[in-house]
Amino acid sequence: MNERELVEKARSGDFKAFTALINAHSNKIYALARRLSGNDQDAEDIVQDTFLKAIDKIDQFRGEASFGTWLYSIALNEGKSLLAKQKRADLKPIEDYLPSNTAQELHDVSHLKLFDWKDPHEVFEDGELRKVLDEAIDELPYEYRVAFLLRYHEELSIKEIAGIIGESVAATKSRVLRARLALRDRLSGVFEEQYG
Amino acid sequence: MAKKCKDYVSELNDYLDGELAPELCQEIEKHVGKCENCRIMINSMKQTVELVCEGKPTQLPEELQVRLNQALKKRWDAKFGKQK
Repeated sequence: MNERELVEKARSGDFKAFTALINAHSNKIYALARRLSGNDQDAEDIVQDTFLKAIDKIDQFRGEASFGTWLYSIALNEGKSLLAKQKRADLKPIEDYLPSNTAQELHDVSHLKLFDWKDPHEVFEDGELRKVLDEAIDELPYEYRVAFLLRYHEELSIKEIAGIIGESVAATKSRVLRARLALRDRLSGVFEEQYG
Repeated sequence: MAKKCKDYVSELNDYLDGELAPELCQEIEKHVGKCENCRIMINSMKQTVELVCEGKPTQLPEELQVRLNQALKKRWDAKFGKQK
């Protein structure tokens, strides 16, 4: 049975059809919730509240987006409600992630050279870098964390993410880029401390 | 006027994700050939995403799955009436 048929059955009250729809996406929603919240308890709450909300709103699902995309939207709203208390510093403008914020070309300013990473995968295995990365993701403002994780963790296109978060393609691209630069910046600090 | 590093930064995600026009890719690659910082920036941005994906959480815990099924069934029955 395809997704559209399952949705039709679920909308008419078939619980088995609904669970089949949910089961197809539950691991992905859990993984996203775990990454967004940074802990198991909040992730479990987000997952449960997302699926309960999906039951409440199943009559409103019109199928304009896929069922999975619809679930992502609900999960992100649930995450936002739960994590709204978090205060995060805004990210720097894109150009501030470069060593120089002047009009000079970087290869002309050798004293402001970026630190070249060693083998990050090897360092990653000792657990310390994993911890720093988790903290760095957690410190991203919610809207940046969402855009970045949907792009690289869930492998959605910029256009799909823009549709889910209700932003323009340009604004979505900018959020993904700034989050990536902020994470890179944070990890670079670890490598420099360890090998610099 | 020749482009500066900061002019390329906003294109780097599209470049790394394979979504940049071929002529712009060539322009970036030409620049990176001469610019050590941009080479480092591109490599480390790529590695950042690789590291995030290396640590992907996996499965919904079994215990949560059981609790979830019970909670969903209860809500479903409240909405649609009890089913066998």
